[in-house]
Amino acid sequence: MSQDDDKWGIAHVHASFNNTVMTVTDLTGAETIAKSSGGTAVKQNRDEASPYAAMQMAESIAEEVKAAGITGLHVRVRGPGGNLQKSPGPGAQATIRALARSGIEIGRIEDVTPIPHDGSRAPKGKGGY
Amino acid sequence: MRIAVTGTPGTGKTTATELLESRLADSGTEGDDEQTPDLEVIHLNQVLEDEALYTEFDADRESKIADLEALSDWLEGRDDVVIESHLAHHFDADRVVVLRCHPETLEERLRERGETDAKAAENAESEALDVILSEAVEEHGLESVYEIDTTDRDPEAVADELAAVATGEREPSAGEVDFMEYLT
Ligand SMILES: Nc1ncnc2c1ncn2[C@@H]1O[C@H](COP(=O)(O)OP(=O)(O)O)[C@@H](O)[C@H]1O
Ligand SMILES: [Mg+2]
Repeated sequence: MSQDDDKWGIAHVHASFNNTVMTVTDLTGAETIAKSSGGTAVKQNRDEASPYAAMQMAESIAEEVKAAGITGLHVRVRGPGGNLQKSPGPGAQATIRALARSGIEIGRIEDVTPIPHDGSRAPKGKGGY
Repeated sequence: MRIAVTGTPGTGKTTATELLESRLADSGTEGDDEQTPDLEVIHLNQVLEDEALYTEFDADRESKIADLEALSDWLEGRDDVVIESHLAHHFDADRVVVLRCHPETLEERLRERGETDAKAAENAESEALDVILSEAVEEHGLESVYEIDTTDRDPEAVADELAAVATGEREPSAGEVDFMEYLT
């Protein structure tokens, strides 16, 4: 994988129970290149085919990103929508696939889902990712 | 009847179940309340501490890593109970209540309770991403999950909702709040 640094960015995917939001930044995370929000965020209707909505969001983000000269994205996923098989949200997986189909090269995929905790927490893999 | 009361730390599980506990104790002595089942409240964090049911320590989060198998064994045979903990949805239950709270309010509650900024922030992010709700639905199915938004409910009102779940007056629900805007 040849990675010319200024042609790569980071896609931050937030995937909750029924919503997926994506933000693309430069590699430092400081500059926002594209953002799905409001109308373009995928608001899941439980009976709808959610991957379609995720695909639409990813496609429009991909256009913005390509226009900014970015050819590849590392992906940082936060949220159970990216992990749980039966999760009803469109999830991170559908979004990442759609980005790839839009001609964006996908680099490292990292899961940075937060862990609920007080004095205790669940072990990894059991809620604890 | 086994009821799990789960939710991100700070959603008010301990506060609401303590209220429920005292209500159950009051009605129990008179035996006049036919509707509220006779349930014992188990504060599972306390059990984890008292019985040392953890494996390791997560130093970054200053949290003991729960031994879910040992906790499950400890719960074995305890059937008419309300299990209260952010881990409660990892165990067998007939009904699973998930307390919710807007992440900003949750962060405030946690800071007021004296938690560190890091702890308040990671829990608020977990709440914004529906982490516990998703796990509860994943493990128990939509038909067993009862979501209660505590953001604008005082503890008494939350206890009322818990009682309604116990008596069967409330229908299952999930995904009725969306706190994602907190993150973006
Ligand atoms: N319904 C509520 N409304 C406002 N504040 C609450 C409510 N329930 C609990 N709190 C406060 O929020 C903090 C966290 O409550 P607690 O019951 O310890 O949560 P948990 O057991 O879910 O971590 C406490 O300081 C408590 O007084
Ligand atoms: Mg508690």
